[in-house]
Amino acid sequence: MRLLRPSGVLFLAFVLAVAACAPAATPTAAPATPTGGPPIRIGAPFNLTGGMASIDVPAANGARLAAEEINAAGGVLGRPLELLIRDTKTDPATAATVVTQLIEQDKVVAVIGFNDSDYVLAAGPICQRAGIPFITVGATSPRLPGQVGDMLFLTPFGDNVQAAVGAEFAFEKFGKTAYLLWDKGAEFTTVLAKYFKDRFTELGGSIVLEDTYQSGDKDFSAQIAKVKALPQQPDFYYISALPDDVGTIVKQFRNAGITGPIVGGDGYDTPLLIEVAGPAAENVFFTTHSLLTADSPNERVRKFVTAYKQKYGTEPEAVFAALGYDTVYVLAEAIRRAGSTDGQAIKKALESIRDFPAVTGVINYSPQSHIPQKGVTVIEVKGGKFTLAAERVPQKVPAP
Amino acid sequence: MGKQSGSEMKILPGRRVEIWLGRSLGGLLLLGLYLLIERGGNAYLQRLTILFLINVMLVVSLNLFTGFTGVFSLGHIGFMALGAYASAILTMPVAMKAVNLPNLPLPLASIALPFLPALLLGGLTTMIIALLIGIPILRLSGHFVAVATLGFLIITRVVLINAEGFTRGTRTFTGVPPYTTLGWTALWALFNVYVAWRLKHSTLGLQLLAARDDPWGARGVGVAIGRVRLIAFGISAFFTGVAGGLWAHFLTAFSPNAFYFSKTFEIIVMMIVGGMGSVTGSVLGTLLVMSVTELLRNLEPGVAVGSFTLGPLYGLSQIGLAVLLILLTAFRRQGLLGDREFRLEATIERLGDWVRKARFSIKAPSAREADPLINELISKLSKR
Repeated sequence: MRLLRPSGVLFLAFVLAVAACAPAATPTAAPATPTGGPPIRIGAPFNLTGGMASIDVPAANGARLAAEEINAAGGVLGRPLELLIRDTKTDPATAATVVTQLIEQDKVVAVIGFNDSDYVLAAGPICQRAGIPFITVGATSPRLPGQVGDMLFLTPFGDNVQAAVGAEFAFEKFGKTAYLLWDKGAEFTTVLAKYFKDRFTELGGSIVLEDTYQSGDKDFSAQIAKVKALPQQPDFYYISALPDDVGTIVKQFRNAGITGPIVGGDGYDTPLLIEVAGPAAENVFFTTHSLLTADSPNERVRKFVTAYKQKYGTEPEAVFAALGYDTVYVLAEAIRRAGSTDGQAIKKALESIRDFPAVTGVINYSPQSHIPQKGVTVIEVKGGKFTLAAERVPQKVPAP
Repeated sequence: MGKQSGSEMKILPGRRVEIWLGRSLGGLLLLGLYLLIERGGNAYLQRLTILFLINVMLVVSLNLFTGFTGVFSLGHIGFMALGAYASAILTMPVAMKAVNLPNLPLPLASIALPFLPALLLGGLTTMIIALLIGIPILRLSGHFVAVATLGFLIITRVVLINAEGFTRGTRTFTGVPPYTTLGWTALWALFNVYVAWRLKHSTLGLQLLAARDDPWGARGVGVAIGRVRLIAFGISAFFTGVAGGLWAHFLTAFSPNAFYFSKTFEIIVMMIVGGMGSVTGSVLGTLLVMSVTELLRNLEPGVAVGSFTLGPLYGLSQIGLAVLLILLTAFRRQGLLGDREFRLEATIERLGDWVRKARFSIKAPSAREADPLINELISKLSKR
């Protein structure tokens, strides 16, 4: 008995402390307007805290915006969508627990979420076993469907597609020789560099120097010294990097007097690139899902950017906001086509989707391919702004 | 401790029955709880219980070294990583290995072991590595061991990232068969707690505690401090490695990022909350930390307070845990149990005393009860 008392006091104090903290958070209205049946529940696990938060929070915001728009327009099958957004703390074990809970307790009919394959691979098999469709918002590894199973779909293109476009674009525009640098501390950057090399050498290009670094490195002078020591500078520099490192790398390369074009993947699609690198970011090209600007020639993009700004008071922080938005619309369309909320029926309906107009391009699925064959946007940094350099599909895609 | 063993010597036959009754009751209660969760069919609860039991193994093993020796280890998650990768490489089906790990050397590439031998081999590999690094590391003392084991954690991560043929480097390690069940985990956790308990109350355990509390005195009575610490380090690493194996076959996909600072701090927090040096405290600490985190996590999407909804409150569980820690360091620095143990015997005795007292107070006036001499006389008479 004596033992219990201090902990009892502790618990009470703790509860009080939590109660005191709670009201500080901002309240957000839960969606639900149309009536005509119980809401259709969709699980939406994201890493809202921790290392992935900078891209997962915009993705969750985009998804919430889409659900509210759909509900305002009457919902799906006469029923409102209820998006159950959950934080998985950038921890795969939590991701697995949360998804189990969403399926078992909340009885969701489908799950959307995550922008990195680590979390998709932890949560995906659980959905697969339960027969619940899972659409990943931003994980771009083309191997995911093979690793998880037939209930998994991707909203973005695969890394092999964007790497192929990067290689083809640079080969035509800049030339046959390239320098290749990648971050070996992450799966995405490693795989992207591999696909780029495959496609670029296939085209007849040659990599004059390959080098690596580790995510979080702050000093790239060793890599730069090796580039400077080359007898002749390559036509361009392909650097496969994560959003956090992009700005630093570009700035240090430029400061060392390397002025040639720098090419990269969708890791560059972050405000950090221009914020950190400043004028040094000029002559940087990268492949990504869409160019999100309020004055875009694409009407869907304009509409999305305006709606996002109206709801959250800021332009979309990352392109993943648009991917989250598109994912909910694609899923809603599949439920509408399926006419039911049965897992297998939704899966079949998703596989029948062709030419679906989304903010990040046109989405096609088929029973053979759960990765959409979408166009890739190439962006150039010009005058301190992201500008459209090209929109293209690859002529040939390296095998996953 | 002295007081406790004194009271144990005075155990009376009647009490012995009570204790055995209590023990079997406790055992039955655990078994019932297990069956309830296992047969209940709630997959969410089952997952949480498996995670809890794996964490119990990690915390008890960490405590077995850090709590009993007073020397901090920050490298235990490195052992977990080794156990996880080693056992996962051993169990992965051969066809899957050809796809996922094409560069694996031959003897490993052509075998796929059942779960138990793979777990044991994973644990043994970890133990051997722990003994090898333990020999130089345990020559250090105090904070230097913490720094050296931290170095081990960092080296393990670098090796895992670069040994691509074995680990796929930074890429997610997938294709691990989902062998971990509630039964396996429960058996291993029980075994781990039992070994830690017996160790604490063995000669070795007493030597460890003596060396912790008074190294010079312990040396004076002939305790080979380095040797006993190395044994504890090895046993601790073995169970941590097995826990890693269970975790790997539970999650089935992981990368080196999972075995780093955040997991290290997670188990240290659980150990400190429970009490350093207490086996049952480790179990309680894990239970408290996990319940608080999970409870608050369930409040994160929004809480209905009367007519309006609070939230969403993402991050609440992390903040809650931090508040718990601050309160704990302010009011109960030694953790829930300190280095004492929750003893069924002692609790039953106390309970028995209470029942006896309650029975007595009906017959005897309080004045007589307060007099120790008369009290003793009565208790002797009532025994006949």
